[in-house]
Amino acid sequence: MAKRTMSAVLGTMLLAASLLSSGATGAATNTAQADPLNSPMWDYNRQIFLGQMPWQFDARVQVSAPPFAEDPTQVPITVDASALGSEIDKVIAWADFNPIQHIFTWYPGDKVKPRVSLRIKVQQATPVRAAVLTRDGVWHVGGVQLEAAGGGCTAPSTGNADPYWESHLGEVASRRFGSEGSSRYRFKVIHPMDTGLVNNIPEFFLEQLELRDSAGEAVVKMQLYPPVSENPVFTFDLSNSTGQHQLWLRDNSGNEFEQAL
Amino acid sequence: MLRPTVRSWMLSLAGLGLSLASLCTAAQTFDYQLAPQQIAPGTWVLQGKMQDFSRKNGGNIVNTGFVVTEQGVVVFDTGPSHRYGKALRAAIAKITDQPIVHVLNSHHHPDHFLGNQAFADSTIWALPGTGQKIAQQGGAFADNMYRLVGDWMRDTDVQLPHKPLEMDTLTLGSHRFRFYPMTGHSGADLLMLDESTGVLFASDMVFYQRALTTPHTPGLDVWQQDMARIEAIPYRQLVPGHGPIVQDRAATAQMQDYLAWLDSTFRSAAEQGLSMIELMAMPLPGRFAEIRLSRAEFARSVVHLYPRYEDAAF
Repeated sequence: MAKRTMSAVLGTMLLAASLLSSGATGAATNTAQADPLNSPMWDYNRQIFLGQMPWQFDARVQVSAPPFAEDPTQVPITVDASALGSEIDKVIAWADFNPIQHIFTWYPGDKVKPRVSLRIKVQQATPVRAAVLTRDGVWHVGGVQLEAAGGGCTAPSTGNADPYWESHLGEVASRRFGSEGSSRYRFKVIHPMDTGLVNNIPEFFLEQLELRDSAGEAVVKMQLYPPVSENPVFTFDLSNSTGQHQLWLRDNSGNEFEQAL
Repeated sequence: MLRPTVRSWMLSLAGLGLSLASLCTAAQTFDYQLAPQQIAPGTWVLQGKMQDFSRKNGGNIVNTGFVVTEQGVVVFDTGPSHRYGKALRAAIAKITDQPIVHVLNSHHHPDHFLGNQAFADSTIWALPGTGQKIAQQGGAFADNMYRLVGDWMRDTDVQLPHKPLEMDTLTLGSHRFRFYPMTGHSGADLLMLDESTGVLFASDMVFYQRALTTPHTPGLDVWQQDMARIEAIPYRQLVPGHGPIVQDRAATAQMQDYLAWLDSTFRSAAEQGLSMIELMAMPLPGRFAEIRLSRAEFARSVVHLYPRYEDAAF
């Protein structure tokens, strides 16, 4: 019951916020484009994440999710902007109705395909969005509606009940698939990824991820936020990077983790 | 002049309100229309719809059953709601005056025990693990059922099983029941063979023509081992937890086929490095595509089980 009331209050607040902000116009060229997911949070989040820059809804940015969040603490998503080509500066993903909306910001670079898979937490049914900034200065926005029973962000991590993570924090399990040059990395990192929204459990999450080549250059550079799932599993596809790679992560407590993949 | 007008206006409004209210009630009567089907001497089954929970079906997606003996009635599973439990009890009362002596909950999933309140004056039995799981998770299951099927759930609360089932057999009148505790579907699954009729109430260890669900399976390997044990049970008819009753081995064969396929598909996907989303998009073999809800349940199973296969492949 408390949960329902909380989300109702939150919903009202967010609605009020979006009503207030809808007065301020966004990018002048785009105001005619209605949100295909018809979310009252669209204008509000767009201004937070994209500011006043030009944007457009674009089917070339594909966000995939299952029809229903079977486990709201572990919802698989894939963001794929391959159809936009390689001229990509930045990808931002968020969930409209999460209490913490921001999922990640990613700077793909030209040695990795602009496609990533991971799992996220959702608090209720929500659009999941990805906005992709191309080098011409335009944001391309895709998204998908995810149905959910809810509670993913305010459920304690399983690590909270099981001390396994304490002795395994930051451990990485990984595997490289495919041939040199065009290959896929999948890896899992042990981390509770606590949101700070559960009583007496402060936020504790990985906030920086870099995949570095043998020269130390970051092939993947990503900022993470608490909606990324506990013990996150990532999938990246390298398009143009050979040799060995090193995974580097840092959490919001300053712990650094490094692992040769 | 004014007063009577206002009053008659209000009266007619009230009348309108009443007729609207009765219209609404007529549209949704919350009647499960349970029709027990006799499948063997003294043995009736109530077959649920091969669907997912919805506000239309009120959660009646499950098979329940009962056996009438000379010394009382044994009920196997009580359905998804208090309303269902009461309807089941009324259906039994139309068939026999015998008292309901024993009630069994096959496992802790909500469609199998949330009708318990209607049988609180009988002895409700469940495996010890089932009782613990209902105590831990029953409330959350009930909440979720209210969300999924709405007012059908009215007045439904968790009624815990009264006693842990630890006996191997139970004799009531001329019927002798043998119990098989297993774990493959939910961690604590009870099967009941009526040795006098050869009817096996297989609980959700067996689904037929309706895709199996995996949220609490200890592992597909465990379930497959249990299936081999079920194959060895000398039954003449099998009542699956969901789907039509069979007189042959078709249901268990379909289970074995699907479980083996699921296991090998997840394993090879993990070895190829597929993400969950890629795995969910995989085409299902034609023989499974015709099973109800196979696509949706496959996607759910990916979330439940694929992380174990990923861990093994890392």
